[in-house]
Amino acid sequence: MLKMNSMNSIYENLNSKFNILSVDYPDDMQMAIDLEEKDIHTVLAYLKSDGYTQLSILTCVDWLKEGVLQLVYVIFNWDSGIHILVRTKLDRDKPLFRTVMEIYPGAEFYERDVHEFFGVEFEGNERSYKHLFLELWDAEPPMRKDFDTQAYSDKKYAPREYKSKFISEKGGEK
Amino acid sequence: MNFIYAFLLLLFAFFFQTSITGINRKVMARLQRRRGPRWFQQYIDIFKAMSKGSTSHGWIFDFGVIMALGGIMATAILIPIGPLKAFPDVDNIFIITYLLAVGMLGMAMSASGSGNPWASIGVSRALTNMLAYDVPFMVLIVSFIFAFKTSSLSGFAALQQGAGVMGWNFFRFPLGGILALICLQGMLGKKPFDSFIAPAEIASGPMVEYGGRHLGMLFLLHEFSTFIEVSIIVHIFFGGGASPLEFMIKYALLYTFMNIIAGVFPRFKIDQAVKFYYKVPLALAFIQGLIIIFTGLGVS
Amino acid sequence: MEIISNNLEKDKKDMRKVWEKIGDYFRANSIWMMWYCTGCGAIEMPPTMTSRFDMEQLGMGPMATPRQADVLLITGYLSAKTLRRVIYSYEQMQDPKYVIGFGSCTINGGIYYDSYATMKQLDHYLPVDLYIAGCMPRPEAVMNGFDTLISMIKKGEAKGWKHYQENYDWYHENQLHSLGEVYVKDEFHE
Repeated sequence: MLKMNSMNSIYENLNSKFNILSVDYPDDMQMAIDLEEKDIHTVLAYLKSDGYTQLSILTCVDWLKEGVLQLVYVIFNWDSGIHILVRTKLDRDKPLFRTVMEIYPGAEFYERDVHEFFGVEFEGNERSYKHLFLELWDAEPPMRKDFDTQAYSDKKYAPREYKSKFISEKGGEK
Repeated sequence: MNFIYAFLLLLFAFFFQTSITGINRKVMARLQRRRGPRWFQQYIDIFKAMSKGSTSHGWIFDFGVIMALGGIMATAILIPIGPLKAFPDVDNIFIITYLLAVGMLGMAMSASGSGNPWASIGVSRALTNMLAYDVPFMVLIVSFIFAFKTSSLSGFAALQQGAGVMGWNFFRFPLGGILALICLQGMLGKKPFDSFIAPAEIASGPMVEYGGRHLGMLFLLHEFSTFIEVSIIVHIFFGGGASPLEFMIKYALLYTFMNIIAGVFPRFKIDQAVKFYYKVPLALAFIQGLIIIFTGLGVS
Repeated sequence: MEIISNNLEKDKKDMRKVWEKIGDYFRANSIWMMWYCTGCGAIEMPPTMTSRFDMEQLGMGPMATPRQADVLLITGYLSAKTLRRVIYSYEQMQDPKYVIGFGSCTINGGIYYDSYATMKQLDHYLPVDLYIAGCMPRPEAVMNGFDTLISMIKKGEAKGWKHYQENYDWYHENQLHSLGEVYVKDEFHE
């Protein structure tokens, strides 16, 4: 209960200062808040000064039907052990955002990662165009839900041809 | 005649040491509760390496290996086997130490010539290691030379024979004996003083670019240098041998003992090894030297 | 594929000279493998190497660099990025050299058959002498595979490295088709 109370007070405090769209508690010691694009930098800067010194990860979720990409900044407080997931939604067709490198310098590599796998562009991160994982990548970002990995894989990496067919068309073994 | 003798001695050194290395691999395996390779596995490894192709990285790389092997072989023919000597009166400890350095430097030159950064790190560690164990060992040897008025290996051995086991320098000078064994462990490059090979950290150090025939020559070199180093200790501290057989038995037991010690130790970092050598063995060497010079305890 | 099967037919006849047979005896009984863990199957190597199964009784042992090694183990799941390094390492190895493919991933892609980064058949890019099936093969299977490799070398059947030299164009074309460029491009090679 104590934990829940402290989480609630954190939320009350944030809600009084910023415009929070929705809040969620995925787990003990975890709180997820949704924000508008423009608020992200102020909230992150405020939380960092409040003790959330570590950016654990920056990742991205592709919501294909809604047509949005959701950025998730997971930040962590070493004193209280609380994770806060700061989330925002971007337009899927033209994902453009501003870097948070001034607040969390380590974000450089996470931003390169997200740029590589989801195609989100980060203004201000000069090296975000360099490939971090996929060397010499030649197609659209592979983690987007409309990317057909099977087709790409068949085109690039020749599958083994078997003389007999082991799997029938209807599915299941012959 | 001497040269035929020297040639036979080299052949003997190779077959003897390689067999013992093979047997010791088996001993080590039993220590770790494995079945272990066959006793002649070391021969197969060497001949296999010789049968493969190899890449050259420039003439310094090639020449360094040959120079190292030549230097080590030239040293090995000076080593007496019990009473048998190829060249009498030149088995002086100083000559052997200096000639040994030719081999080591050839190896260092060749490894640096490969241009691989791991090789440079390995060579620098190997030379640092050499500096660490040589200082206490030389302090001890110089005080021995002062005490016995001889510097030849067979001279040392002859002085110890006739008084039984208790006449060995190892028992007459226990401090010096223990110190010599610690230094031998460093000379052989066995654990805990094998930071210059360290396969998992610096990819086997100086040997990183060697393959095929070059690697085979390095294996030969390693066998010969092990033969020289263990023989020195057997002659100075364990009374050499009245007959070649006695020498061989002492040699085999000593080498196996060192291997068993190596089998239960982890690895020192190079700075830890140097610190250790300059603390314990160097202090032991000075104490032993002072005892010999001022009290003469154990000399007569 | 046809080129390889033709070559295999040709090599059935034993045309080795006496010293080559002696050399093959030594090479079969002293196999050094490269310490490069390419995929998840590498976790099967420690039990194979240590006291329980003791690979050293076959004369095998790990070696630190490709120059010293005889056999390259592709232990499962091979990504495009890893394949570049593997080709580099393979080409650094000294001649008679052998390749073993571990597990279903190297045979047909395994459970990652539709991934955007997984190679689906290793023998398209490197000459594989032996496949060990399984996901992952247990150490018993691995030891059995090594035993097969040893008898193959003794009989002179492990000729993958010769095929690679003779059909380099075919292999290189496949490598280029899948990788774009075999050259390693990353932060550390600039």
